[in-house]
Amino acid sequence: MADLSIREPPRVLVPVQVLEGQTLPETLIDFLAPAEVVVLGYHVLPEQTPTEQASLQFGERARAAVDDIAHAFREVGCDVETRVGFTHDRDQTVDRVAADVGATAILLPNPTGDVDRLLVAVRGAIDADRLADLVATLVGEGTQRVTAWGVAPSGSDFDATAAVERVVETLRDRGLAAGRITAETTESARAVADIVDRTDEFDVVVMGESEGTLWSVLFGDEADRVAEGAVAPVLVVRRSSEFDVGADSGSASESASESTSG
Amino acid sequence: MGSEHGGTNVNRRGEAPEAVVGPDATTEETSVTEEGTELERTIGLSGGLAIGVGTMIGAGIFVFPGLAAGRAGPAAAGSFAIGAVVALLVALPASELATAMPKSGGGYYYISRALGALPGAVVGISIWLGLVFATAFYLVGFGNYAAAVLAEAGVPVGGTVVVPLALLFGVLLTGLNLFGTENAAKLQNYVVGLLLAILVLFLGYGGLDALGVFGAASTPERFVPFGAFSMFTTAALVFTSYLGFAQVATVAGDIKRPGRNLPLAMVGSVLVVGTLYVATIFVATSAFGSAALSDFGETAVVEVARAFAGRAGAIAILLAGLLATISSANASILSTSRAVFAVSKDALLPKPASHMNLRYGTPHVALAMAGGPTLVLVALGEVEVLAEVASFLHLIMYGLICVALLTIRRDEPEWYDPNFRVPLYPLVAVPGAVASFGLIAFMQPLSQVVGVAIMLATAGWYKYYASDVSLRGML
Repeated sequence: MADLSIREPPRVLVPVQVLEGQTLPETLIDFLAPAEVVVLGYHVLPEQTPTEQASLQFGERARAAVDDIAHAFREVGCDVETRVGFTHDRDQTVDRVAADVGATAILLPNPTGDVDRLLVAVRGAIDADRLADLVATLVGEGTQRVTAWGVAPSGSDFDATAAVERVVETLRDRGLAAGRITAETTESARAVADIVDRTDEFDVVVMGESEGTLWSVLFGDEADRVAEGAVAPVLVVRRSSEFDVGADSGSASESASESTSG
Repeated sequence: MGSEHGGTNVNRRGEAPEAVVGPDATTEETSVTEEGTELERTIGLSGGLAIGVGTMIGAGIFVFPGLAAGRAGPAAAGSFAIGAVVALLVALPASELATAMPKSGGGYYYISRALGALPGAVVGISIWLGLVFATAFYLVGFGNYAAAVLAEAGVPVGGTVVVPLALLFGVLLTGLNLFGTENAAKLQNYVVGLLLAILVLFLGYGGLDALGVFGAASTPERFVPFGAFSMFTTAALVFTSYLGFAQVATVAGDIKRPGRNLPLAMVGSVLVVGTLYVATIFVATSAFGSAALSDFGETAVVEVARAFAGRAGAIAILLAGLLATISSANASILSTSRAVFAVSKDALLPKPASHMNLRYGTPHVALAMAGGPTLVLVALGEVEVLAEVASFLHLIMYGLICVALLTIRRDEPEWYDPNFRVPLYPLVAVPGAVASFGLIAFMQPLSQVVGVAIMLATAGWYKYYASDVSLRGML
């Protein structure tokens, strides 16, 4: 049984801009149902508007919209919680709530149809255990196929092949049949664009959280940029605190631990 | 929506005050409403300082040096220092109240909760009008600087363009706040940053010059040529340039770590602005002597900059003046809209005044209530008297903030738990109240009459519209 080997039950934070009329495709709700889901209905205000003022007038409408989404999750047997927030800064609110509920992944919604093909884009040090827990829980004993794709510029310190291998191995440990997993590696200097280009072959993209590099400060988070261009929703796996410290269990392969320092 | 209203807590339209956030629902990063909606706090210390400094620095720093030096000589620097001390006497009580009640609304909120709905209504509604007057004054100041910049740049335009420029810019600022998404408030930070950079450059150069680093040290003149009393009366004149530090508290609901950041932003912005003022006077009087400065009048600082760096210096200082008026006008428009929201949420004005527009996410009614009357006043002229009336109304609020602290401390309610407590509070709040009310005595009789008339009118409005609304102790 796949479930027996899940270390940490995955918890997915689903931020939805409810007052902008954003909704979730039914197929995506079905797909996420095996995980614990926290629906965060939020609305971003310009700084000249007090959040209090907005919540007074639109709080109820936002709550109703979030409850509708939560209801849809409950219908398919999902364990769901709701949060509603008004903010001037979307990222601050999403990060705070994610830490608060201990989310293992954050969904960046995009339209999608039936979920048959998953792309796991391996771009750098990734928390393979967390990722495998998430993917294995979501696809479980279904028929979906998972492609683990390492994308790194040539000559980088990051050993994409080894990282992809480790992801595949961990997925198999969680009970995913080998036949459902494909491993690929590509050398590319324009990874985000390449990933975006391939998203039409897939129904959901899974990525790791980017590290706080100068590049991501200037041009935005890699996962955000993928989600912006992609035709598929993106699940961003958050780094767990133990992974950050690097005090992970001894199972981490040499190449993976090397890449954290690079 | 019956027009009857008995002993219930409702106004003439049947609306009751709304408590959005309960007293214990404030954390460092959020407030949580009774329904559980989370309100993110997103403004940090630098944002709070930008609001305080940006509102205060206004036109005062450029307009007053000439006038003040004429009245008090080099001791005008002392007058600005006295102004800063008085501002601190109010900023400290305001900080304590703000950390106990980190809600949007600022001074109005503390006064209505500590002293009751009538004083609250008088302060809340008259501050709306006071801010409208102040904004009109800043916009006309903007028009003057813009005309001067054009003239300096070789485009001679007469005084006729001042009002059209002020109107145009007023429309632009209001529009930016109405339709602009994230950038209207960020603009404030950039404007204040650039302004401070120009001033520090100017003061740094001027300071070194005065101390004799470049060429000979200037001859010191007698520091107090007109006697110590002149220093105090001049302090009353220049106190206008400190109005605005309490605006930080109007965004209290959006400030991160309010217990720490609110007092730091309020007290810090008074200290920053006070230092700049004192340094400006020092540099200006060292460069020219107070008699010459007085002759230059309102353009004194421009002449000082011209003496240091020629036409480029003059243009740089005029640009700084332009930025200062932009930042003050913009900050005041924002504060006005928040003031309107605070009183209408409490049912002292009709609720629709606080409605916001979902598409742009902005409080369009309140912003129109800020921008609309402002433009009318600019078009009509006479903004100088109105500016003094604005000061009058601010001083009433400052005095009452001190009274509110005294009242609340004498018999502390159970919910009162400020993170910051004013040490020896009667020694701060009593002089604070006396100084605030006392400064009103130095104003022109016309401003005093208009100010009192506005307060009576707002009290009349309260009696007519919302006499059953009670707010004391309501959190």
